[in-house]
Amino acid sequence: MAEERRDALKIIGAVSATCAFPFSADELYGQQDHSHTAGAAAPPTPPKYFKAAELKLLATISDLIIPASGTPSASGAGVPLYIDQVVANNRDLQRNFTEGFAWLQRAGFEGLPPDGQLALLLPLCKAVDEGTIKSPEQRWFRSMKSLTADGYYTSRPGMVDELGYKGGSVLSEYPECIHEH
Amino acid sequence: MPTKIYDVVIVGSGAAGGVMAAHLASAGASVAVVEGGPKINTRTDFNTHAMPFEFPNRAIPTIKPGKQGFDSERARGLGGKTQTWNAVAWRLSHRDFKGKSIEGAGADWPIDYPDLAPYYDKIEREVGVCGNYDGLKDLPDGIFLPPVPMKCSDKIVKKGAEKLGLKIIHVRKSTLSKPKDGRPACHFCGNCMAGCDVVAKYNSYDVHMIPALKTGKLELIPDSIVAEVLINTENRVTGVRALNRLTQAETEIRGKAVVVSAACVQSVALLMLSKSKAYPTGLGNSSGHLGKHFIPHFTGGVQVFLHDLIGKPLLPDEGFLDHAYLPSFMHERKRDYARSFGAQFGYQNRRSVGWARQVPGMGTDYKKAVKDRMPAVFTFSPYGEKLPDPKTFIDVDWEKKDKYGLPLARRNVNWTGNDMKIFKDMTNWSKEILKSAGGDIFAVGEQPQTNHELGGARMGTDPKTSVLDAYCRSHDVPNLYVVDGSVFSSASEKNPTHTIMALAARTADHIAGRFKKGEL
Repeated sequence: MAEERRDALKIIGAVSATCAFPFSADELYGQQDHSHTAGAAAPPTPPKYFKAAELKLLATISDLIIPASGTPSASGAGVPLYIDQVVANNRDLQRNFTEGFAWLQRAGFEGLPPDGQLALLLPLCKAVDEGTIKSPEQRWFRSMKSLTADGYYTSRPGMVDELGYKGGSVLSEYPECIHEH
Repeated sequence: MPTKIYDVVIVGSGAAGGVMAAHLASAGASVAVVEGGPKINTRTDFNTHAMPFEFPNRAIPTIKPGKQGFDSERARGLGGKTQTWNAVAWRLSHRDFKGKSIEGAGADWPIDYPDLAPYYDKIEREVGVCGNYDGLKDLPDGIFLPPVPMKCSDKIVKKGAEKLGLKIIHVRKSTLSKPKDGRPACHFCGNCMAGCDVVAKYNSYDVHMIPALKTGKLELIPDSIVAEVLINTENRVTGVRALNRLTQAETEIRGKAVVVSAACVQSVALLMLSKSKAYPTGLGNSSGHLGKHFIPHFTGGVQVFLHDLIGKPLLPDEGFLDHAYLPSFMHERKRDYARSFGAQFGYQNRRSVGWARQVPGMGTDYKKAVKDRMPAVFTFSPYGEKLPDPKTFIDVDWEKKDKYGLPLARRNVNWTGNDMKIFKDMTNWSKEILKSAGGDIFAVGEQPQTNHELGGARMGTDPKTSVLDAYCRSHDVPNLYVVDGSVFSSASEKNPTHTIMALAARTADHIAGRFKKGEL
């Protein structure tokens, strides 16, 4: 017991000599060589779920949602293959897309000119925007628009070229607001 | 059998474990930190600056390919959650410590603000906390580095809040606004929660543990998942039994005292897994209160597009995520519930573009509308205080086991009438503030979501209704300590990590004092 107590006192003997936390990490860090550059986009993955004709259909519809306009369209940004990846892993979405594609076929979507295709989809879009989804085709369109938006705006063309977000900055001081409010 | 007996064995290397390790080692104690995850190189291992399109599924993994860690709650890595926290650092106040006495609801802590204030000071000196001196009664000032300017969007929302008589303040964060101890100031890349690779943001590994290795008294034992805290027939813990994360080989690490700092839910579960003849329902659970009084914060959220920023240039203003804060104000107002809420806002990184789904329309107009709204997206996130209730608790699912063969912790959460009144009120206030600031609301969180897990091994003066005493020491076992969010007697509405660190500093002092007295 006395032995243990001496050990304890020896331990605590160090306390008064090092009352402040005495160490720094100075040799480890410095931002002088710090820079950020966005990495390359991952190569497209081969389709896992949709057939070639269905991917073509996805390209047509996603481009009606996000067309080219100085920056690439949804299909130009690889959105159909992104949708394929997500749907391949989600049975609820697979059902949505099966129902949606069946509805498109019944409506003769692929035989319509672009204006006609857009006119067919706009009421679905309206129901989605207004939160009044009732039918399977409206449910499908909600998935279609959501996945198109997700896929496009997380792609390099969508995030960097279209939205102008180039990744985190390296700033020596925080920028003051330049707007007038 | 192991031959080395450390003075203190600490389970977990996060906010509490890292502080305890450094303070005890610098006091001369031999310390082993047993961490379930691997050794991390903060500078190189995190996907700090990655963009979503670098990954086929657009989800950015925490750790770079070929590196390990952060794959489960039991196997995060050195530094634990401080590697990926947002670093918000509030002091609790007298009102937070003594809410039961003041309001008649919840539970009082066995300590009060003056007990912890010197340790908040100590942590702020070591860590570096930026903030403004606001002089608020319920949000005590500390020792601050200069605050970082508010964001453009914060200024807009601040004006809106002021029209309603509410005060918005600068956030306080354990992120450097000036260089300190060899660490650089923040460079405002906005990737704080992806692992700050220059350690401008505090993490316990780089700021506390690596420097403390120089004492020669600290040993870090990564890749070791603690399966049990061991106790002898004389009612003293003797160390821990751990499984190697990669080989599952079993080992024992012995100590004169054991500190469990594995984060709230995992710490409670570890004590429950450490059953013995003396403690058949979990180590140190003679009260039967282990796992009870689980009081996680709950949040909601309202998202808007701020009119003033629609169509404006996109600035490199992500900063260090949130730069401002709405302190709790309902304590001074008439209300039909106990406790209150505060609000964080604007802490989403711009890589989060899920809001684009919510923009109406399709075609060229839709695309332009999304682009115009990119600078204007704003998320308001109020945090409410949950009071203890019998249906909200932590337990262990003995049937479900993880890949290490250990039963899984289970969170059971019930929303009481008081919780829902707070949730409804904080959501309504959020909407009013944002409308006043000129925001178009496009999404509202309709159900409370848990965040900041707290309670389950609470401190208290009565061994019949609490697990730990005023020094985070087990009422039952004199050389067993628990220090993390689980010890909170009541939650307050404030982010808890700063308080966890101050408690760790105080407990380290207490343990050092007991060594001095020969009690350990």
